[in-house]
Amino acid sequence: MPELPATRGTPFLETRALHKFYGGVHALRGVSLTINSGGSYHLLGENGCGKSTLIKIISGAQPASSGQLLIRGQDMTGLDPIAALDAGIETVYQDLSLLPNLSVAENIGLSQQLVESSGRLFRRISPAQIDDVARRALSEVNLPTDPEFLARQIQTLPIAIRQLVAIARAIASKAGLVIMDEPTTSLTKREVRNLISVIRRLQESGTAVLFVTHKLDEAREIGGTGLVMRDGELVQQCDVTQASNAEIGLWMTGRELEQGRYRRSPGTPPAPLMQIQGLGLKDAYRDIDLTIGAGEILGVTGLADSGRNDLAKSLAGLAPPDRGKVVLEGRPLDPSEPASMISAGIAYVPEDRLTEGLFLEKSISANVTMSVLDRLRNSLGLLNRRKARALTQKTLDELRIVAAGTEAPVQSLSGGNQQRVLIGRWLATSPRVLILHGPTVGVDVGSKDTIFRIIQAQAENGTGIMLISDDLPELLQNCDRIAVMRDGAVSRIFTAEGLEEETLYNEIAGSGGENAREG
Amino acid sequence: MTAARTVQTDDTTKPGRLAQLWLWSARHPAVFPAAMIVITCAIIGAVNPDFLHVANLFDILRASAIRGLLALGVFVVLAAGGLDVSFTAIAAFVMYSLTLIVVNFLPGAGIVPILACAALAGGVLGAVNGLLVNALRAPALIVTIGTQYALRGALLSFVGTALFMNIPGSMSAFGQMPLATVTTARGLTVTLPAYVLLTVIVALATSWMLNYTLIGRAVFAVGGKPEIAARLGFRVAHVRIFVFAYAGMLAGIAGVLHVSANRLANPFDLAGTELPVIAAVVLGGARITGGSGTVLGTMLGVILITLVSSVLILLGIPSSWQTAILGGFIILAGLFFARIDRMILK
Repeated sequence: MPELPATRGTPFLETRALHKFYGGVHALRGVSLTINSGGSYHLLGENGCGKSTLIKIISGAQPASSGQLLIRGQDMTGLDPIAALDAGIETVYQDLSLLPNLSVAENIGLSQQLVESSGRLFRRISPAQIDDVARRALSEVNLPTDPEFLARQIQTLPIAIRQLVAIARAIASKAGLVIMDEPTTSLTKREVRNLISVIRRLQESGTAVLFVTHKLDEAREIGGTGLVMRDGELVQQCDVTQASNAEIGLWMTGRELEQGRYRRSPGTPPAPLMQIQGLGLKDAYRDIDLTIGAGEILGVTGLADSGRNDLAKSLAGLAPPDRGKVVLEGRPLDPSEPASMISAGIAYVPEDRLTEGLFLEKSISANVTMSVLDRLRNSLGLLNRRKARALTQKTLDELRIVAAGTEAPVQSLSGGNQQRVLIGRWLATSPRVLILHGPTVGVDVGSKDTIFRIIQAQAENGTGIMLISDDLPELLQNCDRIAVMRDGAVSRIFTAEGLEEETLYNEIAGSGGENAREG
Repeated sequence: MTAARTVQTDDTTKPGRLAQLWLWSARHPAVFPAAMIVITCAIIGAVNPDFLHVANLFDILRASAIRGLLALGVFVVLAAGGLDVSFTAIAAFVMYSLTLIVVNFLPGAGIVPILACAALAGGVLGAVNGLLVNALRAPALIVTIGTQYALRGALLSFVGTALFMNIPGSMSAFGQMPLATVTTARGLTVTLPAYVLLTVIVALATSWMLNYTLIGRAVFAVGGKPEIAARLGFRVAHVRIFVFAYAGMLAGIAGVLHVSANRLANPFDLAGTELPVIAAVVLGGARITGGSGTVLGTMLGVILITLVSSVLILLGIPSSWQTAILGGFIILAGLFFARIDRMILK
């Protein structure tokens, strides 16, 4: 299809009353929006609010159940992926949509060949043209363009580079609209800045950009229109630089979100529950002395290589320490394997819920009851299904997990709900100490709020909580004390109440302080 | 907040020397069967210097021609993330039925139309596999086990069970057409049959198709991540039908070659030879999980299998040992390619 000149006044893309049903689920409820050439837009909303469905329809991955989609004023309702590409709509999905076994050049350049042949496969390809397209796109995002890099298989590249390759592909063709689904998740601050400059250049050449994001700071840095969705509806359009976090949070969730501290610090210091004494692991951390009181929330933070990740794994029994000991209520623990830590009452919710925590294709019920199967036995030693279902239902209710039922596979849930299933599994073990590692990574503000309330409720019940996180507001809102780790040791322990984010940040970054703030 | 570890883009995209070697091996898996062939030949040659004679090369090439065609088909299916075990049944069905038809109704037919018919019939039967895999959304292995049994049963029930030797003249002439001959020291004349060329041509064509056409790249794209390939606009269903049809087509051609070379048509032939063919493809560097491998690697894998299974006889090694040695090679291939994956994958 020939490129149509965008007539003045005609928006690049317009949707009119889009609806989408998945079986009985009404995922989109009449979304009408307008995207102008050269504009930037931020699609904001809780996990499961219909953002992904909307971009799937715009990019042609799925048809709408009803409603209209206009591109440059022309009705393109029901377009397929190739028609969408042809119309100039490029999408960078969160999984990047890269083919792991093909080369960098092919991942960037093959799409154009496919569009030129209108999807017909019995055509010759032009490797020279593919390399050409790839070189131009790669130089736009400041990646190398030498033949060796062009021939590298995607699966041999680190994730941050893959992210940039995916973005390079999106801008390789002169796209009218580039959709990016949380493009900065795996990027460092420097790479984010690089990306923002790429986006500015794109906008100057008239390309519209639509971000799906949870990071309001980045959205404000880029500027543009915020499109806030809730329960499948577009509830608010705003200037992102003007709207406050509280306003956006209210639009997204329909309820007031706590902006201050969740934590009501207890008047008296709690009785010590778990003590970490002189714990050390070669090349990871050393001389760690920490105490967690009953009902206390201890934050642990530091740079990625500060040793906090290894410490967390050691406490979970995943990386046995070589020195020191861990004592729970006066009894020394055996941190050589997860099973002994779990039975002692230590629950560890890992950072990467997808690869370390959940069995995605299994049901919610199977995931929740996994760690407590021995408590669900009947007299024959077999699993009592009724008890299992009751426990799962209780978890769904308490943690406000939105799901089709206890037997729905975990992968059918949104990110925030998946995270809650994982937390629910460990709460089912009634732990004495709960270790949460990055509990709200990739989770929207509404889910964050729910997760924070769960954490607080656990602490109220006397569980000792260790919250390991990068998210400073999260630590300040939730913790009693915050331990900062640097170069493998605890450098300082703060009282969280009244602590300035700036002070905490400077301690994390170290005296030099010029390691600019990340993510 | 994960500061200080800013990814140095330039560093991470410039691998070290050793890493480069692994990356190179990953792109050229043929290096494995090539190395195994050289080692095997060196050992056999050291024990029995007679082995290193052109006549033996001719023998190996001749014995590899049919398996080579079948292996190319299997490779293409494997590259697209499927698995086909019905190709021997397709080959047997096509060769026996077609030879029967030609002998009884068209005794004067030339070899070119016969080959074309075999390719077409095999392609249609293969396409049925592809359609079933798509329609049933079932694993290709299960579907092709089913069609293998169904085809073999149909052949023996409805077409015939008797072998016959009066094959059409054009076929027997094709089977005997020489490309080159040599005389051994003992005065034996060994011929390199012309049909070896057919396999070479098909291999070159397959390699060209896989590397320089959209369908070829689509095969690897689908073999790598089908759901992403679909999202990018590759028609996954078309690719699946195509690869099974292609494997069926090559199986049909291989069937005619088999009859031509042996000068007899036996409906019980070829059954049970699937595994060595699949083994050859895996030895050549194609992962069973799809999306990888090369035509050169596949062909060298076939030659390695032929070398071990036919030439070890020269050394007086019993055939039970050949099987064990072959098993060793396959395990070694598994280790080697798994090692590559561990070294290069992020």
